[in-house]
Amino acid sequence: MKLSNTKVSKRGMITAGVLSAALITSSLLSTVGVAANAASPLKIGVSLSLTGDFSDSGLAAQRGYLLWQQEVNKKGGILGRSVSIKIVNDASSPDQVVTNYTNLITKDKVDIVMGPFSSLLTIPASRVAKRYGYSFIEPAGGGPKVFAEKNPNLFFVQPAATTKGGDVFADYILSLPASQRPKTAGYVKLDDPFAAPLADNIKARFEAAGIKTVYDQTYPSETADMTPVVSALAAKNPDVVVGGTQSADAFAQVKAMIQLKFSPKWLFLSNGASSPLEFPQQIGANNTEGVFTSSDWYPKSTAPGTAAFIKAYVAKYGGAATSIDSTSTEAYSAGTLLEEVAAKTGKIDNKTIIATLHKGSWPTLEGNLSWNAYGEPQGSYLLTQWIGGALTTVWPKATAQHAPVAPKPAWKN
Amino acid sequence: MHLVVQALILGTLTGGVYALMASGQTLIFGIMKVINLAQGAYVVLGAYLTMSLFQWTHIDPFLLILLTTPILFFVGAATQWFLLRPLRPADATELSLLVTFAVALGLEGLMSVMYKTTLRSIQPGYENHSWTIAGYQVNEVRFYAFLLSIAMLVILYLILQKTKFGRAIRATVQNPMSAQLLGVNSNLVSAFGFGLGVATSAAAGAVFGLITPFNPGSHYDLISRLLTVVILGGLGSIGGSVIAAMVMGVGAALVSALSAPVWSDFTFFAVLIIVLLVRPRGMFGAKVRGAL
Repeated sequence: MKLSNTKVSKRGMITAGVLSAALITSSLLSTVGVAANAASPLKIGVSLSLTGDFSDSGLAAQRGYLLWQQEVNKKGGILGRSVSIKIVNDASSPDQVVTNYTNLITKDKVDIVMGPFSSLLTIPASRVAKRYGYSFIEPAGGGPKVFAEKNPNLFFVQPAATTKGGDVFADYILSLPASQRPKTAGYVKLDDPFAAPLADNIKARFEAAGIKTVYDQTYPSETADMTPVVSALAAKNPDVVVGGTQSADAFAQVKAMIQLKFSPKWLFLSNGASSPLEFPQQIGANNTEGVFTSSDWYPKSTAPGTAAFIKAYVAKYGGAATSIDSTSTEAYSAGTLLEEVAAKTGKIDNKTIIATLHKGSWPTLEGNLSWNAYGEPQGSYLLTQWIGGALTTVWPKATAQHAPVAPKPAWKN
Repeated sequence: MHLVVQALILGTLTGGVYALMASGQTLIFGIMKVINLAQGAYVVLGAYLTMSLFQWTHIDPFLLILLTTPILFFVGAATQWFLLRPLRPADATELSLLVTFAVALGLEGLMSVMYKTTLRSIQPGYENHSWTIAGYQVNEVRFYAFLLSIAMLVILYLILQKTKFGRAIRATVQNPMSAQLLGVNSNLVSAFGFGLGVATSAAAGAVFGLITPFNPGSHYDLISRLLTVVILGGLGSIGGSVIAAMVMGVGAALVSALSAPVWSDFTFFAVLIIVLLVRPRGMFGAKVRGAL
């Protein structure tokens, strides 16, 4: 088709005129939009596991994020901009999480993204954030592989890498006078990148202190019946048992110990026992007494803002302080970090967030947080123990609500 | 020695539980040549039903089996009638794999919506009780489950061998055409047979929920174990699956206790491969295809 020979009709002229007018109008509107940007909502994108394997924790994180959105907006938002969190479901899939963050950044054009649940999903999600130059404050991906990514945009909102969760138990045991320390130890570990290294860290410190290892076995994740494993452990009768556990296996270990009537003097479980609701439901409320675990948050924490957080949480979702999942606290704390960055710098953009959080220490519900170059927090967890039917902090002494109870009372049934 | 005997006790009791679960699976294959990939999901459904009824009525979970068995019988019969019966006979065996897998996924989704993915367990208060006999621990629930397995297997045997319905099933298994010519309604027999196989999940689910925490995704692990049990025992042989379940239970417990837990499942699969190499139809697989 030759343009020079094309007749320009009257109708064509009108169409061209309308299009030109539309273009001019839209460009005018966008100029107005830029001018009004200061008052436009701050759009935050998050992908969460609202269904699938991680949905319990994903929903807990959602409660935390949405509670923070409500509370920050009550205060007028961030730098005068109301906060609008868009949460999309990744169905616990590492593939879907990549699609979700790509869409949030490129299609929804959110200003900021924050993290999903689990190390498994955080790793691919953080790569997307890094590719587009977004900061990545994340509440629940603290396995070693997350930090091995060497992503300078990432900030993990818990006191330490999750594999360091057992350090506080080792600190407590090794603080005991030699005559009161356990002489023998057994390690029962899930074949898992979080659980097994955590127990191995404790084992290395115990062995260096002369606590003899009498049992050390790893079980695959599909092990549903722990009784044969625990029967072999019980035959060695160690003073202290360290369970490198997640959740179902932690419950199965304890049930097997009860059934085999084996009650060690000290029992530490890396995960599972830290769940305020599920643990007593699964093993029986009267069997929790004396079991150790580690936590990043507890309802009686003295961290600033805790009382207000609990009050707002209970008002919005019901229940009691003791039923708050720590994942909700972590997600809430991820949000408050944004407020603090904005308050300190007067700006809220990805470059500012990354540059600012790499300096200094930041107060959150999780305590004062600071990170190394790749987002690994430099603090430590709290040692908690089930005392009187509730998770109670027992170590370090400075934050302890109660002295550690040892030996562990016998199982009740 | 103490450890070996304790492992034998634990393994035998656990084997009994798997025998109970696998009996329905092997019955369904024997009757219909359907490898039912949804059997694990039916067991989990049985566990959820028992849990809900127990929380609602506070009736003992073992007694609730009397209520849940007919429910699962109808669920199974409906699955066969509406989803498997319409398949073309020539493709039925292959397509039934897809259909039953779809049923498993559907049930998993349904249970996830209703119960979420939180781990649950059935806790009547005695689930962790054990008797100490000569220094060995015998868990009450597993012991009852073992007795229940034996009772269920005896009932299945009696139904198949001593009742008119059982004779109709066996006739349909051996020669569907002749059975039909002799007046057996093979469609109805297949639906009832499938229902019977699924009904065993009620008892299996109650026991499963008592001894281990479960969620809707638990059926994946279960089905892989059940399939290996019925293949080792010989597809279609109830007696074979009982013995295979015992071999699995005792073998896994011994390897776990005496060697390392990481080897326990591997050992079982190694035994399975060896048996299949030497005797491809399994330990007790029938020479005549379909004989129970």
